[in-house]
Amino acid sequence: MTIKERGYAHWDGELQDGRFPWWPITRIGIRLTFKRKFFKFFFGFTLIPALVWLVGIYVSERLEDFKFMMEGETDFLNVNPLYFKTYFTNDFLLFMVVMILVFCGAGLIADDLRHNALQLYFARPLKKRDYLTGKAAVIFFFLFIVTLIPGIVFILFKLIFAGNFQFFASYPWLILSVIAYSVLITTFFAFYTLLLSSIGKNRRYVSILIFGVYIFSDIFSAIFKEIFRSHYFYLLSIKSNLQQVGAVLFDQRTPWNIPWYYSLTVIIAICLFSAYILKQRVRGVEIIK
Amino acid sequence: MTAIIQTQNLSKWYGNVLGLSDVTLEIEQGITGILGPNGAGKSTFLKLITGQIKSNIGSVTIMGQPVWNNYPQFSEIGFCPEQDSFYGEMTGWQFLTSLLRLYHLSSTEIEKKADKALEIVELSEDKNRAVRSYSRGMRQRLKVAQSIAHDPKIIILDEPLNGLDPLGRRKIIRLIKEYKGEGRTIVVSSHVLPEIEAMTNQIILIHQGKIFAQGDIHYIRDLIETHPHIISIRCSDPRQLAQKFIHHDFVLKVNFGLKKGVLLVETNSRDKFFGLLPSLFVENQIEVEEITSPDDNLQAVFDYLIGK
Repeated sequence: MTIKERGYAHWDGELQDGRFPWWPITRIGIRLTFKRKFFKFFFGFTLIPALVWLVGIYVSERLEDFKFMMEGETDFLNVNPLYFKTYFTNDFLLFMVVMILVFCGAGLIADDLRHNALQLYFARPLKKRDYLTGKAAVIFFFLFIVTLIPGIVFILFKLIFAGNFQFFASYPWLILSVIAYSVLITTFFAFYTLLLSSIGKNRRYVSILIFGVYIFSDIFSAIFKEIFRSHYFYLLSIKSNLQQVGAVLFDQRTPWNIPWYYSLTVIIAICLFSAYILKQRVRGVEIIK
Repeated sequence: MTAIIQTQNLSKWYGNVLGLSDVTLEIEQGITGILGPNGAGKSTFLKLITGQIKSNIGSVTIMGQPVWNNYPQFSEIGFCPEQDSFYGEMTGWQFLTSLLRLYHLSSTEIEKKADKALEIVELSEDKNRAVRSYSRGMRQRLKVAQSIAHDPKIIILDEPLNGLDPLGRRKIIRLIKEYKGEGRTIVVSSHVLPEIEAMTNQIILIHQGKIFAQGDIHYIRDLIETHPHIISIRCSDPRQLAQKFIHHDFVLKVNFGLKKGVLLVETNSRDKFFGLLPSLFVENQIEVEEITSPDDNLQAVFDYLIGK
């Protein structure tokens, strides 16, 4: 005798199409991040470089009006691929990105591990892949706001302020560079953050790791570079690798005298390693060995 | 009756540790109790039938469909884990609605279902309080609420009465029994026999990863009856009481405890023993301070059954 025949009335509403099963995970991640103390203030602060660059674009189109302020030094206001490269690969922006990760990324998996929430998620129609996509999407959301969106806004405002499409005609590939670099940096930091978040249950410990690994990779690479006088040690630095690949994507000279694809290989290797560890660490139940 | 959950030669190892060994059984509609001492493999069994872990050998099917990686099937299952799984800063309402979103329901449905589940577990008034401020009983009820909120056909409850006070236990037991009436399949695990007994007659005995017995609870009751039990009585005159006991066949041994005023009696019929006890106290005017049964637990029964 089936359950229905026994008189049990199952819910007869319609299930919505689950095309984005990861979205509830992302939604809750974003909401919890905005609930964090000082996050809104801090996040607003990270948008300051974008505002400065935007003002720069406006000024570049009104040089005559602002001549009295420039004292002849107007080269830095040439809006070209170098201008974009400088925005995307400057130390301050990368540092701010890491600080955003400390706020929004540290607890993404660590909190779920601490609260045993994974078993609740995976007892529902949610795949591990969807769970990780949902978590990564939180990072994409915040990092795109400081990378991809400003990049597109810069191009749009350049066209609006110029009143013609000459800029677009001169650099038709620039928008692709903006998208490619934003996706690269965000994907890398998504893997980086989720990896570190999955290896601890304590958000503070993970926050220190996210910050520490980034900073110390840079410090150690600089020390080794000075000791051994070889630019290859910049491959140890997260920041340097991103700057190296960024320069290539914006068609600029690489800052270090090493092949750019070495840096790209390091970035991809870290992502693959992270994916492997995440596969092991993210489970519905704790495996006792 | 058609089996809702079927397992075939189900086995699971955690490295060298055996979690479950060669389990073949069928669970039908209604309440089924999984009974076994701590570490017996109850949670492993429940995680296998909810598709959270993959078996090394064997298969699990729910309503004829394999459960592993069958994500649409998970909508039909409600799982209440043993451990707490809460974000303390969330309110009970936020906790429920955030989990309901994973079923791709509309916002109206989510709110309706969350309200209904909270009403069933009697948490409606506290739904806007942070979970961290909930008592143990309230958190346990919230855990049950998340397992029933999406109207599953099958509900799996892993030690739902753990750490609850008697009132909390009664509430959860009543809730589970009410759900049985709606034609669902409910699997409840516990290591405490009376807890399971209060909910169902259908039990599965599990020990050291193996299914020891499956069927009516009277079977285990009979096993307990034939298992010699030790009962400790602290009273005003244990020697006089011992004198009265030795005339009865069902008393196998009497012993005086190390503590003053304690009598230890071994019997092979608890029912006859406890039937006699009140009249003995009254007739001989013996004041009783305490009656306990040091080995009246499932582990003792299992130890006895496996011949330890």
